[in-house]
Amino acid sequence: MIYFDHVTKIYEQNEGEKIEALNDVTLHIKPKEFVIIVGHSGAGKSTLIKTINREIKPDSGDVYVGGINYKDLKKRDIPYLRRKIGVVFQDYKLLPKKTVFENVSYALEVSGIKAKDIKERVPKILELVGLSKKSNSKPKELSGGERQRAAIARALVHQPRILIADEPTGNLDPKNAWGIIEILLKINQLGTTVLMTTHNQEIVNKLKKRVIVMKKGKISRDQEMGRYEE
Amino acid sequence: MTKFIRILKSGFSNFVRNGWLSVASITIMVLTLITMSMFLVVNVVLNTGIKSIQDKIDISVYFNDDAKQGDIIALQEDLADLEEVKTIKFVSKDEALKRYEEQNKDNPKLLESLKDTENPLPPSLEIKVYDPSKLDVLTPIFDNEKYKLIIHKVSYKENKTIIDKLFQATQFTKQVGVIATLAFTVTALVIIFNTVKMAIFTRKEEIDIMKLVGATPSFIKGPFLIEGAIYGVISTLISIMIIGTILYFLAPTLVHYFGGVGDDLSGFIRSNIVWLVFAQLFVGIFIGTVSSWLAVRKYVKIS
Repeated sequence: MIYFDHVTKIYEQNEGEKIEALNDVTLHIKPKEFVIIVGHSGAGKSTLIKTINREIKPDSGDVYVGGINYKDLKKRDIPYLRRKIGVVFQDYKLLPKKTVFENVSYALEVSGIKAKDIKERVPKILELVGLSKKSNSKPKELSGGERQRAAIARALVHQPRILIADEPTGNLDPKNAWGIIEILLKINQLGTTVLMTTHNQEIVNKLKKRVIVMKKGKISRDQEMGRYEE
Repeated sequence: MTKFIRILKSGFSNFVRNGWLSVASITIMVLTLITMSMFLVVNVVLNTGIKSIQDKIDISVYFNDDAKQGDIIALQEDLADLEEVKTIKFVSKDEALKRYEEQNKDNPKLLESLKDTENPLPPSLEIKVYDPSKLDVLTPIFDNEKYKLIIHKVSYKENKTIIDKLFQATQFTKQVGVIATLAFTVTALVIIFNTVKMAIFTRKEEIDIMKLVGATPSFIKGPFLIEGAIYGVISTLISIMIIGTILYFLAPTLVHYFGGVGDDLSGFIRSNIVWLVFAQLFVGIFIGTVSSWLAVRKYVKIS
């Protein structure tokens, strides 16, 4: 499903200082897997995710997603690629002037899905994330947990084969955080590959899923049924 | 088609949601359109004025009483050969007297005194040229030895200085009009571009999100262009209403003070109202969409 072959990404700071966000990373994620990526801030977790979404272009190495080598990807193909990958951002990235319903339907509108289909699909996905009653609210009228649910709904409405969640519980209290994790587990059971980054030790230890630990741009540990260990 | 309707809808709802930025953009565009239209109107006033002055600039060649008909005809033919010459009219002594009598019909004493003497008025040629700035081309003909003897006086030589000064003044006014119009248009373009850019800058994050959920650049740009076009249409409506109101109250005053110019102006407005609306609509939509396109272009690029 996702394959990183010796991928390196180096950022250059103002004073010529180099930061290796990804340092020769090789990684294989199989279809329908649930993978948790852990690590300190600056370990390279976000860069890894942004590389999959093609927000970032690596300096060297090959990235394959769904059998496509990103090196062969043209700029004009990027929007179409992004429609196949659902991404949930830590800061939600909801369109502030649109309602929950409009935010979710926007992801379908860009693909040219018919209005009739949108009217059918959006309520279903809002029900799945438990936001049916908030469908006409604007993001500023929602709590943090509700915003994250709306973001998940938007990422899922395409029925993507891969869902990437960057710190989806980062800004939430434990109750809301678990609510989000339950949704991600449900989606995974339905057949979607889920890739999630987190700092939350409790969540990692309870989930007992594959854990990839990143340190200074490298994968320091990759373990099935892993635990969060310093 | 579905996509186009979506872009259209999204453009309209952005326009409504943007509130004060829409109002700011429209205000600036209305000012631009009014300024441009007013310069257009001022140009009409100036051109009409210049035209009426130019029509009045003609040359009269007065002949000696003993000038032979043949020589006058020869001069007339020589002048007619010049492409600068528009019309030539021969005014005989009798005709000149008739005109003089007509002009002074309210002064019976003067007319009475004329009856006692022989007709004192000379025969003449009245010449009109296409371009009064090129009167000089006629000089060599008048200076020709052949005609020098029969010509008593050429009127333009006396009036030349006045004509030249007048002409310079009208040219200058015209140039100022063109330069001022251009300067205003450029200023307006820059102001609107920056207003739209500011509007887009505040929505930079929104554009980034659109890119991240897989919107193509044209799908993102579309609503902004529609929004720009809406600014243009609404601004045109407002500007036409304001200009209409101003002219409605101003036209009678203009007619009163300037006579012909005022008539020309209201006539111009009446016969060109459709054209004026379309020109404003074109300029408004052009400025709106082009400045939106220029402003949003940088932000929608996918790297």
